Amino acid sequence: MVDSANTATSGALPGSPDSPDTMTVDARDSGGARSSRFVGGVLLLVLIGMWVAGWLSGTSAQDMLSLTAWGVMLGGIIALGGIGLTLCYGVLKFPNFAHGEFLTLGAYVTYGVVLVLPQSNPIWRFSFGWELIVGLVLAAAVTAVVAIVIDRLLYRPLRRHQSPLVLLAMASLGMEFLLRGIVYLIWGSDFHFYYSGRSNPALSLPFGLRLQADQLFVFALAVVLVALLYWMLTRTRIGKAMRATADNPDLAQVRGINTEQVIAWTWTIGAGLAATGGVMYGLASQMRPDMGFVLLLPLFAAVIMGGIGSAWGALVGSVIIGIAMQLTSAFLNPAYGPAVAFVLMVLVLLMRPQGLFAQR
Amino acid sequence: MPLLQVDAVTAGYGDTEILRALSIRVEADEVVSIIGPNGAGKSTLMKTIFGLLHPRHGSIVFDGHDITHEAPHRIVRLGMCYVPQVANVFTSLTVEENLEMGAFPMGAVDLTASKERVYDMFPKLRQRRRQLAGKMSGGERQMVAMGSALMMNPRLLLLDEPTAALSPKLVDEIFERISRINDSGIGVLMVEQNARQSLGMAHRGYVLANGENRHEGTGRDLLDDPNVGRLYLGG
Amino acid sequence: MDSLHLLKACFLLIPAVLMGCLLFSRWRWHVRLPAAIVLGCVLAFGVAGWLPGIMDYLVSFSIMAIIYAILSLGLNAQWGYNGHLDFGVAGFFAVGAFTMALFVTSAPAGVMAAYAQQWFGLNAPYLIGVIAAGIMAGVVAYLIAQPILHLRADFLAIATLGIAEIIRLIFQNERWLANGPQPMSGIPQPLSCVVDGGNCAWLPDAIKPVLSVMQPRDYSYLYLVIVTLGLALVYIVLEAMVRSPWGRALRAVRDEEDSAAMNGKHVKSLRVQSFVLGAIIIGVAGALYAPYMVTIDYSHFKPLFATFLVWVMLMLGGSGNNKGAILGAFVIWAVWSGTGFVTDYLQVALQGIAPDVASRMSFLRWAFVGLLLALIVLYRPQGILPEKKRVSRFLQEPEN
Repeated sequence: MVDSANTATSGALPGSPDSPDTMTVDARDSGGARSSRFVGGVLLLVLIGMWVAGWLSGTSAQDMLSLTAWGVMLGGIIALGGIGLTLCYGVLKFPNFAHGEFLTLGAYVTYGVVLVLPQSNPIWRFSFGWELIVGLVLAAAVTAVVAIVIDRLLYRPLRRHQSPLVLLAMASLGMEFLLRGIVYLIWGSDFHFYYSGRSNPALSLPFGLRLQADQLFVFALAVVLVALLYWMLTRTRIGKAMRATADNPDLAQVRGINTEQVIAWTWTIGAGLAATGGVMYGLASQMRPDMGFVLLLPLFAAVIMGGIGSAWGALVGSVIIGIAMQLTSAFLNPAYGPAVAFVLMVLVLLMRPQGLFAQR
Repeated sequence: MPLLQVDAVTAGYGDTEILRALSIRVEADEVVSIIGPNGAGKSTLMKTIFGLLHPRHGSIVFDGHDITHEAPHRIVRLGMCYVPQVANVFTSLTVEENLEMGAFPMGAVDLTASKERVYDMFPKLRQRRRQLAGKMSGGERQMVAMGSALMMNPRLLLLDEPTAALSPKLVDEIFERISRINDSGIGVLMVEQNARQSLGMAHRGYVLANGENRHEGTGRDLLDDPNVGRLYLGG
Repeated sequence: MDSLHLLKACFLLIPAVLMGCLLFSRWRWHVRLPAAIVLGCVLAFGVAGWLPGIMDYLVSFSIMAIIYAILSLGLNAQWGYNGHLDFGVAGFFAVGAFTMALFVTSAPAGVMAAYAQQWFGLNAPYLIGVIAAGIMAGVVAYLIAQPILHLRADFLAIATLGIAEIIRLIFQNERWLANGPQPMSGIPQPLSCVVDGGNCAWLPDAIKPVLSVMQPRDYSYLYLVIVTLGLALVYIVLEAMVRSPWGRALRAVRDEEDSAAMNGKHVKSLRVQSFVLGAIIIGVAGALYAPYMVTIDYSHFKPLFATFLVWVMLMLGGSGNNKGAILGAFVIWAVWSGTGFVTDYLQVALQGIAPDVASRMSFLRWAFVGLLLALIVLYRPQGILPEKKRVSRFLQEPEN
């Protein structure tokens, strides 16, 4: 993949006799990108601008607050898909356009399980029962297996041939259509609900917010999983090996790390997280066979914005995207949600291509 | 029996042949230095020994094991560690994490003792253990790279141009460290551009040119040899 | 052979001869042209004589294949020449098609205005519409190139995907623009009077009775000639550009960017130029697509048909190679159409056994084409016709 010169090289190369002992962190780093704080500030301004635009177009402050809260919840859903994507993207280095289909697959396999198992009572104030959890675990396993099989049959041979990453991206595009076609074939093109007919009233919260228990659950789950992933990446041996493989796969091999095994673990965790995200999306909204593709753009936007490979970055990026998508529905046609996510992503790419939380 | 025996190895990339029936050996506890002009095949030799490149002919035996066609991550477990010339640290990992990765094949064991050993060898790293390796200067990175390779307590250390692009003061420091590493019982095979200094501290040396062994001898002998001096040591 | 089929064969003659010229491109013109004419006659009259039943199908197949061929050529100008990973072909395609539609239709007036809206309708001649479509697509490409073209390849792919989606969303949701989500209909077909009993004002009276045997539903024969001429024009222009200094500079930038920059090639503007050129060609394809369909709406420009298929075509045919682009288009369109037959058959066959599954058979095609792309990338990423290194038309071609 041609790493086009969108970052200029600084004067002194690291390792040369002239480079200082420590590099100073500047408002613009050596690559010409803005600092995280600057970009964060710009994004905050954009969100505030959206608030103003919504308010000016007649939406009440209360409604804007509700939209913001729903945006945070939407961010949680996007984050569940996003953390899997950022992990895979970071280690394998190519954008997996079929990642959305892991969400779809996860959602539909769970659906199949839920249909088969006897329906139990909802847990607490949630709309789902234990059969959903069972389905989710099973779906995560199935999706992980699918991901590993695809890797073995398609991506690994390409890696062996030292194929440029562009070809891997294209192959993943083919997988996107293959998997989507299979989902359509097995489950048809109708939209489904996990629990149709089951009422799911919203909880009344302070500040006049009304949120469903499900939505809070999804957001909490996202935060927990992000924290778990961050813990794994920074404190466990396998997590550090993943980061090392993402950083420099050749050196990882030289250090004795079995990179293929690391990659297998990456797919397992990434696909499993994606499957969870799909189930949550299906729970919070509905199941549609193209959900993976619909979410693909916001997912990539969140991951790229947050910094590829960063778990917290995926969460923050997802929340920003979620809030933006909800806020714009106050003054724009809601169908343009993905468009908003996209524009924000391009904005961040222009200011800081490595994303908010990247370490380099 | 030498620790490492490279026997008549022929290797190259694609259709080209870089190494032609090359033979070298390293005894345990030795420092062997390989010098020669650019393109002579020095880096290729290192990569071939370490399994990053497969030889077409010949054999490589390390500590009694035939590693001619072995994969790098298995060679590491046999007791040989390699420090590449460039991209030899994980820039987005901290110094300490880099060291931990150096000991990855050992499994989930307590690495405190190994880390202490490396920090004793490179005290500067102890202060900077939580810094990102990517934010360090060239000399410090080289120390991180070598420290990572030492974590497994290897029997043989392969160094690819360890003093490249370093200031003279740092060059001295690195050579001094290499000497100390060798004193602790680790064999060192290094490729060097700093021919004079490396031969000065090596037990034996080889002069490579066009993928072949042109001269071999003790470090001292090669330094004194007028042929070697004229062609490869800058007069 | 009755007079109708004879006449149809005459219409087929032009595309067939042009195809011959392309096939025999290795030969010198004094051999190529006669050979092409011979081949053309054999094909045209042979099909009319022995396979009259499938003639109509062949024509409609070829028209779509040619439109896709133009799309592939446009993508080749971006990807093959300059390495731009453009996953947003559908966007430029839509811009071209809708611009064409807006230019050549008239704005609905009176009663119709209540049912259909569009931004403007100039009732312009066909060629003006085509040119406008190309320019519009080029302008859009130029505008988006500024912020995104310098991004690294995978980000560019995601960005172009996003832009195509936004364009589609706009056409889907903005009623005032092009009647979205309702279709824009009534796009006039150029020269349709020729087949309408031969009643064109500009036709000499002698020919009119000959043409009177054609029906309006035979229009596709005439349109095949039009699109083939369009393809020929695009191909000739592109081939000339490839062998020009500009084309060489483009390839230098693609293959060795730093070296090209040091040699004084203005890298950034060259990259933008190839991107815009590709977009213009894709827009022209859209302009050819709209009148053929007569009715278009946003759903024609979804990523499957309008981006993904084109990529499969280019990858299979051979990226970096204009002939490969055309070959890939025909082969994959044949595969796509063929799978259509298969799934139709399956749909009927399974109707009694499992009606649910039967109704979903069409999705089998998606899965199949997805698998096909993966296989091409895995086993033959350079395509059927790999790029030939063409340095200059003044140099002798090296023996392969």
